[in-house]
This record gives sequence, structure tokens and C-alpha cells, in this order.
Amino acid sequence: MKEHSSWLTKILPAPSDNIISGADLDRGYKNFSRGLFVILTVLVLVPLTIITLLSHQQYKQLLQQKELDQLFLNLEQAQSTIEEFVAELQSVIKFVARDDHYLELLNPKELQDLFVRLQSEYPGFVDIEVIDSEGMQKAYFGPYQLEGHKYTDQTWYREVMLRGVYISNVFSGFRNVPHFVIAVSRKHPQQKASWVLRVTIDGQTLQNYVDTVSTTYADDIFLVDQSFTAQTRPQKYGKIGEKSVLYDVRDTEKKNFRKRVVERYMMVQKASDMMIVKKSFQGRQILQGVSDLTNAPWKLVMVKEQYLYADAWFAFKMRLTTIFLSCTIVSLFVIVEIGKAITNHLRESDMKREQFLVEAEQPNKLASIGRLAAGVAHEINNPLAIINQKTGLVQDFLEMSDDFAYKGAMGEALNGIQNSVERCKKITHRLLGFARHADVVNEEVDINVIVREVVDFLAKEASYNQIKITFALDPDISKIYSDRGQLLQIFLNITNNAIDAIGRNGEIVLSSRQLDEKNVQVSIADNGPGMSAQVQQHIFDPFFTTKETGKGTGLGLSITYGLVKKFGGKIIVISEVGKGTTFEITLPITKSSQE
Amino acid sequence: MTSIKLLIIDDEVEFAATLCQRLQLRGIDATDMHSGGEGLAILKEIAPEIVILDLKMPDMSGLDVLAEIKKHDPDIEVIMLTGHGSAGAGIEAMEKGAFDYIMKPVDLQELLAKINLAVDKRSKA
Repeated sequence: MKEHSSWLTKILPAPSDNIISGADLDRGYKNFSRGLFVILTVLVLVPLTIITLLSHQQYKQLLQQKELDQLFLNLEQAQSTIEEFVAELQSVIKFVARDDHYLELLNPKELQDLFVRLQSEYPGFVDIEVIDSEGMQKAYFGPYQLEGHKYTDQTWYREVMLRGVYISNVFSGFRNVPHFVIAVSRKHPQQKASWVLRVTIDGQTLQNYVDTVSTTYADDIFLVDQSFTAQTRPQKYGKIGEKSVLYDVRDTEKKNFRKRVVERYMMVQKASDMMIVKKSFQGRQILQGVSDLTNAPWKLVMVKEQYLYADAWFAFKMRLTTIFLSCTIVSLFVIVEIGKAITNHLRESDMKREQFLVEAEQPNKLASIGRLAAGVAHEINNPLAIINQKTGLVQDFLEMSDDFAYKGAMGEALNGIQNSVERCKKITHRLLGFARHADVVNEEVDINVIVREVVDFLAKEASYNQIKITFALDPDISKIYSDRGQLLQIFLNITNNAIDAIGRNGEIVLSSRQLDEKNVQVSIADNGPGMSAQVQQHIFDPFFTTKETGKGTGLGLSITYGLVKKFGGKIIVISEVGKGTTFEITLPITKSSQE
Repeated sequence: MTSIKLLIIDDEVEFAATLCQRLQLRGIDATDMHSGGEGLAILKEIAPEIVILDLKMPDMSGLDVLAEIKKHDPDIEVIMLTGHGSAGAGIEAMEKGAFDYIMKPVDLQELLAKINLAVDKRSKA
């Protein structure tokens, strides 16, 4: 127990250490119980909490990953759909602008026929124009009066001449409605220069495409240009033609995906960037996926409010909390019960140990005091013998001498010395008798006979003091194997004490009974003044006496106790102040139990 | 009647001397010696009828002295002095040839009675 490391001792103090009083002991058990509770609680709750937090974290990550994956998938699908639309438009316009069509298209009638046919398929087509290699508009058909424009210095014209295809951002321009332009350049078959076919398409067409791909999954989906200006109408996050409101919002986390796509029509592999960022917008966590379109100058933006605030996450959290709380409650209950049980167990075994120590102490006390007493008695005996002889000698001289003034008084004084020596002699003899190990004679004795014999010894003294002695003896009691003389001494001591305790007028009842198959019991009850608990604690201690000085040695009951123990018996005292005292002596019957 | 010749052997000088003096006052020819060795040495010289012998002495034990005395003259009667409260030691001495034993502090009347009994025993023998 003492080997505990200091921290454990601090938390879990051994209750029986540093005890001063019963209250301290109680506090000790309480502290122990509390310490035990703390340790067990920590042992149970720490892993439980860790597991709960881990699963919380793990599930959150899982949901987030799933969310990202789903957004990525949706974005990818939407992107390829829109890319297909754009590719289709491009290929239609490329088809119309076949190399050898240039001259035909310069004819206004032919251009009109073509445009009407195109418009029936693609109602979003607004106008069509043919531009020569110098940048001069050669033919136009459409609702606006735009003939004769010169585009030579415009960026888009230079770009289309270099790249072959040009797609503009959505703008209002002089047409005053949102629209965008697809231009295609072709080589002139005869002249070696290129010409350009330019088609203006209503912005609504693009909006229709986006509406087609928008799903219930996403909270918002729209196209933006390279500077994040909305090209189609966002539902929540901005206005068409203006920068998206999300543009200025700081990213909290960013994830990049590089996607290799095969553009179907060009059969060219291109890498497209896809980026998913987390943003905190107006108190909501949102995920914003942005993907570059491979065949247009736009980016597709998909916005999703975070899943975590959705039902699945809430349900999971509720379930986790419920499990955690119920586990905690159950374990706290079990811990409290275990703590109580352990503390009670400890308390009981401490009490048993205490009791055992008290029981074990008595014979021990007797043995050591007995040895001490024998030593003292022996040492005192020799000078006592000398005093005895010297006094005797003086008495002899006194007897032989003639009368003188104080002869009588001197004789009395010498007698007084002799009487005191006699008293000392008795004490030393009793002390030595107390210490010695006399052999036990093992004979068959009738306990009733012995009890009656004891009373024979004391009858005279009892009757002088008006003390009535009665018997309640069991006539069928078993005979026991024991030492007659020492049994006599046992009962004599106790009965003698009873007479002394009563003083005058009282009653002593001596009874015997068969306790069980192996034991008999003799009880000696008086109706004297009784003893306090304090006195009862010490009656078997050597030299403890309540009799007046000179009347008792304080050895009677401790000798009695020693003898009863030697016979393998038990002696207990039941006493209450004012009601009397009862001694119960239990003695074994069998031979073997005394050996 | 000649006085009884008696030897006291006890290491307690004061005790032995006083007892000796008291017995002398009662007409007994008593001598006291204060060790087993001294006692045995003087045995021939004084030829006692009775020896009063202490059971416990520093140089040799009373039982050993008893054995020596009985070897020297089995007719010498020995009364053992025992300081123990126990009768056991006295009885053991009696088994080894002592006439009787008496416990310290000695009651002189009791001792005189035992001496007389011892003398009677010798005269009958």
C-alpha cells in the first residue's frame, strides 16, 4: 500500500492513514471514495470523449469529402454539357462559312435565305455579317442598320484572323441587348487572304443552356468571364453584367483539380482547371466550384451551400450526442456503484482487521506483561526474604530482652512489617503464578460439580454479606475434558469479583447450558452496580482493578482470561451500569480442542 | 540432646547470615556459606545433618550442589529454598533426592517444622 507513487496517493489516499478520530476515518473513506470516482471517471470518460470527438471529426470529413466529390461531379457534367452546346454553335457557324461560300454569302438574297434557315433552327441568332480580309463589312443581314462597318483595328477581328475562331463575352454594345458573338475566319479560295463570318447570338441563348444544366443539387449556377463578371443571370449571387458577389469574398479553403478533357470535335486533349473553394458568405458556409470552359472564354460557377447544415449532419450529431450522454450516465452510475462497493469492502475489512488486532493484542499484552511481572516479582522476592528474616531476627531479640520503655510498641511495629511482607509475598507469588506455564491436566470433569464447589468455597462470605446464590444448571450437560483446578480458579475469580462488586444485598445466578455439540457455556450473573464501557474495555488487562488499594492485585481476571484462552474457550462480559454484570464463559468439550 | 548441625548455602549473604543467626538463637548449630563451591568445600569439615540449599546461585545450580551433597553423604537431608512462585522447581528437586522445599520469603515456623521432620527421618533411618 505504501509503494504507491505520490500522485496516486494524492488522488487516492489510503483511508486508514493518519487517523486520529472516527470522524477523520469517515473523512478518509470519503476522500478515498472521491479519489476512486475521479480516477474511474477519467479512465472511462477520456476514451469515450476521444472516440466521440474522433467519430465526429471523421464523419464530418467524410461528409465534406462526399460533398466535394459530388460538387466536382456535378460541375464536371455541367461543364461538358455547356461545352457541347458551345461546340455545336461553333460547328454550325464553321459549316456555314465553308471556303467556297464567300461569294454566295456576299449576295444579300443568299445571306438572307441562309440566315432565315439558321434562325429557324437557332432562334437566338440575331444577325449575320460577312467581313473581308481588310476588315470591311461586305454583307449584313439582321434587324439593325449596321452595314458598312469597318472592323480592321478591333481586337476580336485580329484575334479571329490569327486563331480562326473567336467567341466574345456577353455585352450590350450598340444593339443594347445582352448578346455575344461567334466569328469564324476562312481562306478565300482565289485570293489568298481570309474572310470572316460573324454571327451575333442573343445572350438568352446562353442563359437557356445554363438553365438546362442547372440541377436541384446546386444552389446557383452561372457563367462568368475571366474577370468574374456574370455572363448569365445568377439566382442569388449577383446580377448579369456585374461582378459576382462571391468575387470579393475571401476563400477559407481552396482545392484544385486538373482535369484532362478530350474536346470531341477538335480531338485535342486539353487540360482544364477546376477549383473548389470554401467561402463564408453572409454567415453561411458555401462551396464554390469554378471550372474553365475549354472552348469559350467563360468559367462555369456552381455554388452549393454546405451540406453540414443539412439533415444528415444534424441527425448524426443528435445520435452521437445521445450515445455519448447515455454512455456517460450509465458509466457514472456504474462508477458510483463500484466506488461504493469498493469503499464499503475496504471499510469492512479495515473494521475486521481492527477487531482482529484488538483480539490479538490481549494475549500479547498478557504475555509481555507476564514476563515483566515475573522478572519484577523474582527480583523483589530476594530483598523481601531478607526483610522478612531481619525483622524476624529483631523480633527474636525483642522477645529475649527485658522490658523496656517501648518494647510493646516496637513489637507491634515489627508485626506491621511482617504483615506487609506477607502481603508482598502474596503479590509476588500471584505474579509468578500468572507468568508461569503450568501443565494442564486433561481429565473428564462435570462442570456442574465444579460450579457447586466454587459456591461451597464462597458460601460463607456470601451469606455474611446477605448475598443469595442460586443455580440454573442444565442437568444433561456434557462432561468436558479440562483441568479441574484451573476451572475452579476461573469460576472462583469471577464469582469472587461478583461478591465484591455487589458488596451487600444482592443475588448471583450461576447457570450452565449446552451451547452446541462442541461447546458448553457457564454464565455468572450478578445484580451489582455494573460497569461502564470504559471499565469493560480494561477488565482483562493485568493490574487493572477497581477495588480499593491493597484489596486487589488486578490480576484475577487477566489470569482467568489467560486460562480460558488456554483451554480454547471464550470469555465475554455483558454489563450495564446500574443493572449488573454477566460473564459468559464458553468452553470446548473435546480433548483435541484443548491441545 | 546434641544440637542439630545445619548448613545454609545461599548467595544472598544477608539472607543466609540472618537466617543462620535466627536458627542459632533457637539452639541449632547453623553455619552459612555463600556459594555452591564454598558449601561443598566445608561439607567434610562440619558434617551437617541438614542442608538448606538455595536453588539458584551464580556459580552452580542448586540441583548440581544437591547431587554433590548426596554423592558425598546420602543421609544428609536437604531442604531446597526456592525463589520461584512455582512449586515445580521444588518438586523437581525432591525427585532428585531433596527432603522438601520451602518458598522465599521463608516463614521461620514452617522451616523449623520441616527441619524437625528431616531430623525425625534421619533418626528413624
